[in-house]
Amino acid sequence: MLACVPSATLHGVDGRSVSVEVHVSSGLPGFTVVGLPDAAVRESRDRVRAALLSSGLSWPLRRVTVNLAPSGVRKTGAGLDLPIAIGLLVAAGALPSDRVEGTGFVGELGLDGSVRPVPGIVSVVAAIAAEQIVVPAGASAEAALVAGARVRPVSTVAELVGALRGQTPWPAVPVSAAGPGPGPRQPDLSDVRGQLVARRALEIAAAGGHHLLLVGAPGSGKTMLATRLPGILPDLTRDEALEVLRIHSAAGVGTSGGAFPSRPPFRAPHHGATEVAIVGGGTSWLRPGEISLSHTGVLFLDELGEFPATVLDALRQPLEEHVIRVRRARGAVDFPARFLLVGAMNPCPCGEGGLPGACRCNDVMRRRYLRRLSAPLLDRFDLAIALGRPDVEDLLGGPPGDSSAVVGARVRRARAMALGRGVRCNAELPIDGIEDRTTLSADAAALLERRLRSGTLSARGLHRVRRVALTVADLDGASGVDERHVAEALQLRAARAALVSEAGR
Amino acid sequence: MTASSLTDDQRYGAALAALGAAPGTLRKFLDGYGAVEAWEAIARGRHRADPQRRYRDKAVPATLEKVGAACARSGVSVMVRGHPGYPPALASDRQAPAVLFSTGDVTALEGRPRVAVVGTRSATQYGLGMASELGRDLARAGVVVVSGLALGVDSAAHAGALGFDGAAPTVGVLGTPLDTSATPSQMVLRDAIAVRGAVLSEIPPGVHSARWWFAVRNRVMAALAHVVVVVECHQRGGSLHTVSAALARGVTVMAVPGSVRSSASAGTNRLLVEGAVPVRDVDDVLTAVELAVVARPEITPPCRRRDEKASVSSVSPRPVLGTVSGRVRQALDHDPATLEDVVRRSGLPLGDVALALEQLAEAGMAVGEQGWWSRPRR
Repeated sequence: MLACVPSATLHGVDGRSVSVEVHVSSGLPGFTVVGLPDAAVRESRDRVRAALLSSGLSWPLRRVTVNLAPSGVRKTGAGLDLPIAIGLLVAAGALPSDRVEGTGFVGELGLDGSVRPVPGIVSVVAAIAAEQIVVPAGASAEAALVAGARVRPVSTVAELVGALRGQTPWPAVPVSAAGPGPGPRQPDLSDVRGQLVARRALEIAAAGGHHLLLVGAPGSGKTMLATRLPGILPDLTRDEALEVLRIHSAAGVGTSGGAFPSRPPFRAPHHGATEVAIVGGGTSWLRPGEISLSHTGVLFLDELGEFPATVLDALRQPLEEHVIRVRRARGAVDFPARFLLVGAMNPCPCGEGGLPGACRCNDVMRRRYLRRLSAPLLDRFDLAIALGRPDVEDLLGGPPGDSSAVVGARVRRARAMALGRGVRCNAELPIDGIEDRTTLSADAAALLERRLRSGTLSARGLHRVRRVALTVADLDGASGVDERHVAEALQLRAARAALVSEAGR
Repeated sequence: MTASSLTDDQRYGAALAALGAAPGTLRKFLDGYGAVEAWEAIARGRHRADPQRRYRDKAVPATLEKVGAACARSGVSVMVRGHPGYPPALASDRQAPAVLFSTGDVTALEGRPRVAVVGTRSATQYGLGMASELGRDLARAGVVVVSGLALGVDSAAHAGALGFDGAAPTVGVLGTPLDTSATPSQMVLRDAIAVRGAVLSEIPPGVHSARWWFAVRNRVMAALAHVVVVVECHQRGGSLHTVSAALARGVTVMAVPGSVRSSASAGTNRLLVEGAVPVRDVDDVLTAVELAVVARPEITPPCRRRDEKASVSSVSPRPVLGTVSGRVRQALDHDPATLEDVVRRSGLPLGDVALALEQLAEAGMAVGEQGWWSRPRR
């Protein structure tokens, strides 16, 4: 009396195929789950029993052993409820085994016999190799994005058993699984009045993938600008969309409702967030953090100086490698984390320190505020600009600047040029790539040399300036980098100098 | 000077200062007592200025030794009011420190007019420029620049006064003990002042100082100065302590006018409204100094050099600017502006403005700090 049902569980953002083996034998009535189940899986006994009884099916009063193979892998989540229930019915003889042949199952059971969605359905379904896959109706649209017509949505156990026995037809698969949806409307750049320099910095950040730091007094529009950055990034490719879908599904947040996400995500965690919430992790179930949820999109850290130093320093490795390796005693996962970082901060605790001489903070307060920003983190920002409060005349109906659509078109053109150099965006150009693939005019080289000699530009800064200058040239449609492009790149990181010297003290 | 070369008065005076009494109490300790006498009276709990015997437990031989050793270690001289070596410039003041510590040469204070140049720590480029210029020109005219060695205006004034050889000495008055460490650049400045002038403090070395000393030492600057010049200060700030101490002593208070939109000039502009004498350049200060020392034959009046300005302008002819750089320079002001403002005022594309600013900065015709741009003062 043995049944074997294919299913899968979530490990990080990936699915792992699991075979649910149920053995029913004579002996004292009992129910044992083996194969490294977590608490949610062990509790499934009570859910399965109630769901079966509520659905008018019988619970075998015999000895039941459930093995989750491979036994060495930790199983998490309630998604194994449904395969355990089906395995039990087959092993107890309530369902003929040939009816479930080649069918995979995933879903959580309610005590009333309903089948509920589980997080990470996209990755889980992708990991099940079966001719048809039974999924909760609530998650069927997402599942259909990766498994197409193999998906069999069900909303109750009774419905599922009826369909398996051939008594009732399978419920229809939702049709919305076609192409990318329009996505939620993103705020438009033309809402921003004035702020010519900041708009330009956003455009360069989007085109070159350069991390951006906005330093300005309260009310200078830092948040408004940052929220408009995703709107000028190019649409996601299908692969990127699939990655975003998998990550968001695994984290159980903001699911797209059966459409591929077309626009880059935007995440703005509060500065009270813990290190685990930002970089990912957790005790029993390794969840992706905010940096992975903003994969392919924008991570906006408002009040950068208020984040704990440990959180900020944890960002340094993913900023370089585009992946975060979460290592725990119980397991290890890699989460993708290729995001565009936008930091916003006040120049000092009182907020007025941008304008020289206006600050009322004492040295100790200023130093304490800036101490959290390590120089290596500040080094990751290719662009750092000081924002003033916008002009009153601009706020009251100055001419609107270019809309997100217009800027977005320029950004796409610049990205296409970066693709010609073999990278997604200029920020990813390796150092030798900058030398080999860009031409620097003699004037531009002389300007950089003067800045290097005067000590206002470091060797590391040099490469960053060259990458940004290249992006500026790309946006201007120029064939080579000239003096103006370099000067612009230098000016757009000027606000960094003061922070570095203060933080380094 | 080593511990062995300290006289008993100096040793006991330093130890009395280390008891932690406020300046007024310390004056009373030495009022009618010699330093040794005062010490022993306190140690026995019989000093009339210590009826509660609050200082008796501290007046132990260990304190005496510790302070003596600290003075020797840091090369600090001790001066007790009423004894030889105490600066006459300070001795007549009603609130003069009873015991004074110094490095350098305190005779630098004598025979020359003294001007206190003070201001805020968070100064603008304008304030720093003015302070350093005034410091330089005052020193050149033979005036001793007195300041507090704090960051910002104070340091700029000292640095200006040290700017060339043959100038008058400059004197710093610390609100911390002389052996307290500061930032490296402050230490360099402090050492340079000790070589060319003197650094004073009324707190013994090796003692933890309190914040209130900063306000208290301002009276020393006011007592030393013939004229107090406030370069930049906020609506509320330490410089205003110096101003009220100066007013109480009938010392002329002058202020450098600033932009009415600059918070760093709010205090100085208010002083001007309330009757302070405005400072446009060093000549205004020298006039006030001449008036202040006219009845003091022991003080050499400042010497003016009328030819300075002509020679400065003939040395550096203005470079010829292109139209773009010219427009960007036009867009700059003495008040710092963001890159955004410069772009808007000049009406030029960002790339052109950025390049012009780089070139102007190299030619010394624009000053950029932390992404804010302004015109240099001269």
